[in-house]
Amino acid sequence: MKFRQLACRFSSVLSLVVLIAGCAVGNTYNYATGNTALPIKGEGEISVGVVDAREYVLSGNKDSSFVGLQRGGFGNPFDVTTTSGNPMVEDMTEHLANALTRAGFDVTEIRFSSPDNSLILTSVRQSALDKNLVLRVREWKTDAMMKFRLIFDIELSVHDENGVMLASVSDHGDEVLSGASFESANSQLSAAAFGTKIARMFNNPEIRAALTN
Amino acid sequence: MRVVSLCCILFALCGLFLTGCASQNLSADADPSLNLEEMSSFYVQRLPADTRGVGKLIAAELLSLGKEASHGDTSTVDPDVDAIVTYVDKWMWDITMYMIELRVEIRDPDTQYILASGQSFRTSLVRKSPEEMVKEVIAEIMKEAEGL
Repeated sequence: MKFRQLACRFSSVLSLVVLIAGCAVGNTYNYATGNTALPIKGEGEISVGVVDAREYVLSGNKDSSFVGLQRGGFGNPFDVTTTSGNPMVEDMTEHLANALTRAGFDVTEIRFSSPDNSLILTSVRQSALDKNLVLRVREWKTDAMMKFRLIFDIELSVHDENGVMLASVSDHGDEVLSGASFESANSQLSAAAFGTKIARMFNNPEIRAALTN
Repeated sequence: MRVVSLCCILFALCGLFLTGCASQNLSADADPSLNLEEMSSFYVQRLPADTRGVGKLIAAELLSLGKEASHGDTSTVDPDVDAIVTYVDKWMWDITMYMIELRVEIRDPDTQYILASGQSFRTSLVRKSPEEMVKEVIAEIMKEAEGL
């Protein structure tokens, strides 16, 4: 009798956990791959690096692989991370490097260990290339429940071999990308949104001039 | 009294679960430099998996807006068009099949850069026919490109 009661309680708790969590636990999105087409055609060597300047990552509240939230049936949030398990900015660097390669550039990826500007410029100078791209991510996260939201704040800058900034453009917003779907569709949508935001920045006249001159 | 409370709870639960059947979102995004008025010819590139003729519907909608529009596979792209149109349609089953999402992208023919895109997402209770989905997405892209 006691066993039956215990089993009954256990199954009730299990059902509740499943109901609350649903398909929300353990979701991962893949930012490393994507078919982003840039509006420019280029040639020659270029370096590219992405800086994670998200406050909650710098403070240690979230892991660097954090990319957003997936909410359960009652709005309860679960962290979404990168599919690779790598920091989000590493996957974004790969995505960006692939897009630049398709646009005709010979790309060198740079990894930044800190969002500190002087350290970033030191890394840029060490690359010894005429053109260097730095994408600073102050915010990037998605939030999926009924709708699929993207909250972002990014800045793209072009630097010369001495680290001098030639051009810079930034963009920020809080947008509903679509209705929330299953994990794989949400993953594709997030990577596509990243590609679109980045490509728009490359079409900025100052960025285009700095990259093509 | 107890029966009434139970009914209220059941009603609330039904309401909670049915809200998932009535979700919709219509949005578009366009490059600030885009001038759709100046673009007169479009090529709608058929999605290989499209067996429902969505590409034809998009081309027909562009024609109805006074643009030149043709459609076909990747191999038959006319190099002189002003823009290539690509799309992704998603379908769901709820008593009958319906289009849950349509995303349309207007691309530069040289670089494939997405000049503008629009998408409509409609769950079962707010479903529309594919023709209407195409119409509203193209209209949203036009609106966004004109900065309205």
